[in-house]
Amino acid sequence: MAVYKRTYKAYRGPLTPAWSRFTVLSRYGLKNLFDSRPFTAFTVLCFVPFMGWLIATYVVHSTTAQLAFGIRLGAGVVGNMWFLGFLVTEAWMGFILAAWGGPGMITKDFANHSVQLYLSRPLSRVEYLFGKASVLFVLLSCISWVPGLILFFVQAGLEGHGWIWDNLWLAGAIFLSCLIGIAMVSLLSMAVAVWVKWRIAATALMFAVFFLFPALGAVISLILRTRWGHLLNFPVMIMIIWGHLFRITPARPDVTQPGFFIVPVWAAWASALSVCAICFWLLHRKLKAREVERS
Amino acid sequence: MAAIIEMQNLTVRLGNRIILDRLNGALSGHCIGLLGPNGSGKSTLINTLLGFYEPIGGEARIFGKEVQHHLRELRAMIGFMPESDAFIADMSGVRFVRYMAELSGLPGAEAMERAHEAFFYVGLGEARYRKLGTYSLGMKQLAKLAQAIAHGPRLVLLDEPTNGLDPEARQRMLQLVRDIRDTGEVCVLISSHLLRDVEECCDQVLILKEGRIAALCNLEEERKANLKFLELEVTQGNGFIDSVRALGCECATFGAGRVRVVLPDNIDLRQIYRVAAQHEVQIRRMNYRRDTLEDIFLKAMADHQQPTPAGSKNGGL
Repeated sequence: MAVYKRTYKAYRGPLTPAWSRFTVLSRYGLKNLFDSRPFTAFTVLCFVPFMGWLIATYVVHSTTAQLAFGIRLGAGVVGNMWFLGFLVTEAWMGFILAAWGGPGMITKDFANHSVQLYLSRPLSRVEYLFGKASVLFVLLSCISWVPGLILFFVQAGLEGHGWIWDNLWLAGAIFLSCLIGIAMVSLLSMAVAVWVKWRIAATALMFAVFFLFPALGAVISLILRTRWGHLLNFPVMIMIIWGHLFRITPARPDVTQPGFFIVPVWAAWASALSVCAICFWLLHRKLKAREVERS
Repeated sequence: MAAIIEMQNLTVRLGNRIILDRLNGALSGHCIGLLGPNGSGKSTLINTLLGFYEPIGGEARIFGKEVQHHLRELRAMIGFMPESDAFIADMSGVRFVRYMAELSGLPGAEAMERAHEAFFYVGLGEARYRKLGTYSLGMKQLAKLAQAIAHGPRLVLLDEPTNGLDPEARQRMLQLVRDIRDTGEVCVLISSHLLRDVEECCDQVLILKEGRIAALCNLEEERKANLKFLELEVTQGNGFIDSVRALGCECATFGAGRVRVVLPDNIDLRQIYRVAAQHEVQIRRMNYRRDTLEDIFLKAMADHQQPTPAGSKNGGL
């Protein structure tokens, strides 16, 4: 057993680089999330669609496997809709993951008045937010664009014949669309958390924003006989942006999902960026107010 | 000793209200007490030193570095124990302190070692693996102190460290503060309502009132200054008091031979003995009356209420 001296002594050892301090928040944040077994189990579950798509990609290129399963698929199946389908599936799972884990990271700090302890150290408000957001970024990246790009390269490897060069834009679309989705979901989950200090209420509010706001938007659109009420439908706004990035046009007959291009692409971008900016402003403002706690 | 904290016309406004009004002074004690009634600006001063509030005028310097321009550097050198409960309830004590030490820049292994040391140092060694939410109020205060010192700061800011503690826990906390002060490696600034706490630990006191400095004094020097204030108990002796007065001393008698004497600078104690011998008066008891911090505090409050003469310096006692 270690024996520790009961004396005070100054620290004269090495210090970590100043830029890396936010990674402490990420490390502890991830550790805290994975201390919960249900959360860990759900994270593992999030990789199931990836495995499914991976197997399906292989089957598309393997006549032996197709014969074994008794199906017939052409290589052309794997295109933009193939990857978009994968990302949409993972996006919903990622949303649940973010709604589950995101608010808790912030509400704990706010409920326990520990924000002032963080910010009395060499850590700025932006670094604090960056550190907390990076937990969700790492988590959501692991189930979205990272497996998305793995799928892309597996497909490129199986297809051959310069497929990768013809479809390189798809890799960019996968990365950029995930980045937008992650930023929006992360900032939103943290912003609702600072307003509601109770984790469960914050998670519920997060679901409300994603499911009740669209209803509100639809009601506004119906009453005012306009389509702009749909700007409150954040899932559809993200879908419009993704559709644009994946080069899906309204003229395409195979696009049958409702909600596609219900408002112009620029409006969807404006809506998504506005949500991100408002969330960031709210977070910054709330953090500033919480730097100083009164007993 | 070089100044630890310097203030030059430091003015802080919150909303439309000036909370700190042109503070001037240099704090250089090993342990500095920050006193003042509620709303006098004690916590605002601490928060300004931490860079949470930006002054609208003047500046504050810590270790010679201007706070707003060297915020990150200074925060690494400062340990802060806030007044309110501040911790993460579902984290074990040692993990929480390690976390805070890592945020201050210590590498993981060193932070872990220092967290254990800090917990043993504050006397919570046995409870270090318990969750902070299960700690008593006294233990939480000690855990807050542990997180403030774990990274080895050069300046520790303690905001009401003995708030809500029972007498035993309070003594333990004050003993720790004295221990930290006596190492000479770290300076301590204590903000408190409790004069006795400050008196027991501090060698310098800054008294604030309505956002202005009511007094800034070195406690030891202030006490020494009152060595000229004597309390005597003498046998009745005709003419003794008059002779002492004739020396130029101010005297007041309280019956039963009790006399209070204020010695002017040019009068030596031996002259009192000589006068007593001349009048065949026995001095049964002689005490220096030492000013308590309460005296200093009350005097500062009273002086501050009187209109300040034009051109007088803010901060004079």
